[in-house]
Amino acid sequence: MSSDIVLFAIVLAAAIGFFLWSCFRRFRLVTLGLADNRFHDIGRRLGNALLYAFGQRRVVSRPFGVNHFALYWCFLILLVANIEFLLGGLFSDYISLSRLPGGAYHSLAFIFDLASLLALLAVCAAFVRRVAFANPYIGGLNRDSATILGLVAVLMIAFFGMHAGEIAQGSEVAARYMPVSGYVAGAFLAGVPAGSLAGLIGFFWWLHAIVLLVFLNYLPYSKHMHIMTAIPNCFFKSLVRVNTQPREEFKKGNTFGVGQVDRFTWKGLFDAYSCTECGRCSDACPATFTGKPLDPRLVIHDIKSNLITNGSRLKRKTAAVLPLIGNGQEQEGSVAEEVIWECTTCGLCLEVCPVFIEHFPRIIDMRRYLVEMQAKFPEELITFFEHMEQRHNPWGIAPAERTKWAVETEVRSFEAGTTEYLFFVGCAGAFDARNRRTTLALTRILSAAGISWGILGKDESCCGDSLRRLGNEFVFDRMAEENVRIFAERGVKKVITQCPHCVNTLKNDYRQYGAELEVSHHTELINNLIKTGRLELDEGRDLGKVVFHDSCYLGRYNGVYEAPREVIASVTGQPSVEMTRHRERSFCCGGGGGRMWLEERLGKHINVTRVEEALQTESGTVCVCCPYCTTMFEDGLKDRGAEGKVRVLDLAEIVAGALK
Amino acid sequence: MTEEKKMKKPRGVARLIPDKCIACGARCQASCPKDAVEMDGRGEPIISVEKCIGCRKCLKVCPSEALAIYYTPEEQKILAEIEARPKTKARLEVEEVGVEEAAVLANLKEYRGVWVFVEQTASEPAEVSWELMGMGVDLAKTLGVELCSVVVGDGVKHLCRESFAYGATRSYLIDDPVFHHYRTEPCNRAICYLVEKYKPEIMLMGATGLGRDLAGAVATRLQTGLTADCTGLSINERRFLLQTRPAFGGNIMATILTECTRPQMATVRPHVMPMPSKDTSRRGEIVHESIPVKEEDFAVKVLEVIDDRKEGEVDVVAAEVIVSGGRGMCARENFGILQELADELEGVVGCSRAVVEAGWMPVEHQVGQTGKTVRPRIYIACGISGAIQHLVGMQDSDTIIAVNQDWQAPIFEVANYGIVGDVFRVVPAITRRIRELRTQRGS
Repeated sequence: MSSDIVLFAIVLAAAIGFFLWSCFRRFRLVTLGLADNRFHDIGRRLGNALLYAFGQRRVVSRPFGVNHFALYWCFLILLVANIEFLLGGLFSDYISLSRLPGGAYHSLAFIFDLASLLALLAVCAAFVRRVAFANPYIGGLNRDSATILGLVAVLMIAFFGMHAGEIAQGSEVAARYMPVSGYVAGAFLAGVPAGSLAGLIGFFWWLHAIVLLVFLNYLPYSKHMHIMTAIPNCFFKSLVRVNTQPREEFKKGNTFGVGQVDRFTWKGLFDAYSCTECGRCSDACPATFTGKPLDPRLVIHDIKSNLITNGSRLKRKTAAVLPLIGNGQEQEGSVAEEVIWECTTCGLCLEVCPVFIEHFPRIIDMRRYLVEMQAKFPEELITFFEHMEQRHNPWGIAPAERTKWAVETEVRSFEAGTTEYLFFVGCAGAFDARNRRTTLALTRILSAAGISWGILGKDESCCGDSLRRLGNEFVFDRMAEENVRIFAERGVKKVITQCPHCVNTLKNDYRQYGAELEVSHHTELINNLIKTGRLELDEGRDLGKVVFHDSCYLGRYNGVYEAPREVIASVTGQPSVEMTRHRERSFCCGGGGGRMWLEERLGKHINVTRVEEALQTESGTVCVCCPYCTTMFEDGLKDRGAEGKVRVLDLAEIVAGALK
Repeated sequence: MTEEKKMKKPRGVARLIPDKCIACGARCQASCPKDAVEMDGRGEPIISVEKCIGCRKCLKVCPSEALAIYYTPEEQKILAEIEARPKTKARLEVEEVGVEEAAVLANLKEYRGVWVFVEQTASEPAEVSWELMGMGVDLAKTLGVELCSVVVGDGVKHLCRESFAYGATRSYLIDDPVFHHYRTEPCNRAICYLVEKYKPEIMLMGATGLGRDLAGAVATRLQTGLTADCTGLSINERRFLLQTRPAFGGNIMATILTECTRPQMATVRPHVMPMPSKDTSRRGEIVHESIPVKEEDFAVKVLEVIDDRKEGEVDVVAAEVIVSGGRGMCARENFGILQELADELEGVVGCSRAVVEAGWMPVEHQVGQTGKTVRPRIYIACGISGAIQHLVGMQDSDTIIAVNQDWQAPIFEVANYGIVGDVFRVVPAITRRIRELRTQRGS
């Protein structure tokens, strides 16, 4: 065996050396990224790594995830066996688990044997799934995945071949504790002459060794790099909901947004390395689902390809060869411009990603670059941006008309000290005839409950949500500063609003501007009022079936799922009907992320898709709690010719209708 | 000394004349140096008698002369006494206040004449220029001055003669290859050169893309006032140009004065002023001017002019009459009745977003937030409920006529005339009636 040992030592050294070099080449590129502190609160981060990486919390949320769970844990267990295998190959006389006390070695042998079988079965199951079921996910069966599955399968077969040989030879002390290997020995190797057995063991040993080292070196060059990056990525995951974007500093000489891959944060780049291309984001994304070119998985993949192509040049401070934002003609590695505008920022991609990649924030980074550095954006946005800059509302309506909705009702101005809540009406609530009905319903509820509230009137201006999500950070910044100044000047502490986008901006975005407001969405406030008995309702009203649609910015962005459902239950006396995709997995109406102001030219309409899902529940009422959702649903219902049969009501309208 | 002090001329306090305030937007409040003016709910001023010092600043800014100075009976008595006395220090003091103002006014007097900029593209005049000529004739007559046209271009002398047909009596011409294609900077220099040399008191331009670009540049360089998109122009007794335009989203009409600088510049949108009649027999004087500009002086070069007008494509933005259809039209075929009505009114067919989505009409017809913003003289909305996304694209139309089955449709909030009914009966009826009227008038 001595010449074998020398040969193996050379092979092993070369393989480890090449692997380390590959890892260095890949990971040093991550340091190109900008700073982002993801090291605070280590305890919670370790907890996240345990739960989501080792516990595979999100992976197993889909049934087939159990297969990955099994494979993952087999891999971890066999990691011990494989380290022993490699070291044993060098120092067989000194390093072997068989030197452990009998009981311990027997147990380990038993576990390794079963884990290997389980791994082999899991690989077979994964392969069958890819072949037998058409497209379990996009790119499920490609060269990459076939190679890896093949390698793992051969590795397991070699494991059994090797151990079965040893059992047949009688040299394995734990033979009785290795049922699978024992079975293989009994079934295939009974009666094989001793000389041939030794040769067979040698063959399987080398096969195992070579496949293991090939596997190791294949990792950094394939999507299976996630084996190394997924655990740290769960560790580095954002500790708060990703519901805002960082501020930019508007100084002469600064560049804005991301137009080149090294302008992402290091975490953005590390995310790209962590993607396993499992396609859960693709399945979830409203744009991908409706047949648009945007696919969050591909965006992340393009960032990775771009980094690998340009990274070493950028390290040397030479120009990139592949543009990050392309015109759609380039192959992988460039994100097409049109793709960047298709995102509704609904956040479902983040919600489903098992390794916590942050997809849409990267899209907003690129939007910022297009808007602020290139002035390149869809034509429709010219009007929108102009209106926001000049009139501080999306439609360019005279600010004096902001209080027009209030002519039929008695409305007071907000005054610190005497008024408790500021009612931030929002642009849709103030200008749009449809959403004014919601505004009026809400004011009736507030008055009925004896809440002390007032408005800013003409001093109110748009919160700027769409601007920020569309990447027009400069105008957002100015509007945010002004709004925060007005809030401070007027002594505003508590805010009620009917728009989840206003909630999110006032609460989460404005925090960066020093505003610490207690912002409640009307669903939360109404729920509290009902619970505390301040709102007397004519309960048990028969509205028929009421299906509830979660707003992305209320649900995923701010974690409000229960309040609207509880309100519906207390008004109608029965729980709301749910669509297939609901709560955390709710499907966007298509109006978020500034998409409200853009035409939807490609694929099926997102709102129509969602309306069809609602129609399947055969409910007479769709309950929403966001002005965008209201508009999108009403449009979609008209499109499906169902506007007479199904009505769209804001939660406030339902409650106002049930007031005593 | 005490005698002198007692005799100081009383200044009185400002007071609102009932029913004369037009709620212009709190200009009196903005002008008050003592914060003596508060605005009430209707946008009218409440003047604090204690705070007012009688400086008259609010009187000056008031566009409707709704403020006057009020003297108490005691003050009136003192005034009368001062009047009765021979010219003393007290009277001189009053005159001294006006010295600065007088200097400004004297400077303004150097400017005389009404000018209209004749816009042209490839030697083709923009019709708005002739519309402005019609307005200019009236203004010049009131002021007792000449109406002059300004023509800047390359091979455009014929436009000077054409301007005489519309009422100009003199035309300033700068003809140079530099001006072949319109560019802001050369044109700006040419106009400023002419203004500085001949000092007109009024300069009018069309509120077209070109006119808006040039007028802003000229006004900036000349450091004078410019009122965009005027809907009315007239002269007051102090020879000032009263420039009226909608403000605050059309809620009020603002009348704007250029008090201290000249020329008084205004732009007017196409089709706002009537087209004057053309009289080719009229003649005038052409004043040839040239300015020493070289092509090398300008960084901007026009490489190519790409015409984006496609053959047969409708231009809803330029149309004076738009007959627009919404989802209520139910099907592509039904747009025929709208086309008939549009043809009868020499207009074009527009539509809402839903119609484009449904594939009933091509996208260039779309009116609204994500489509075109239009301001025709007549906008007829048929089967359009009036979602805000549509309203913002057409609510500035002069006259809006809405036809819709649902009386609660928001379109009726912005419509001047609303017809609650079935579009398929109402629209053909309107078309029929117009044809009848036309044949009656013809016969």
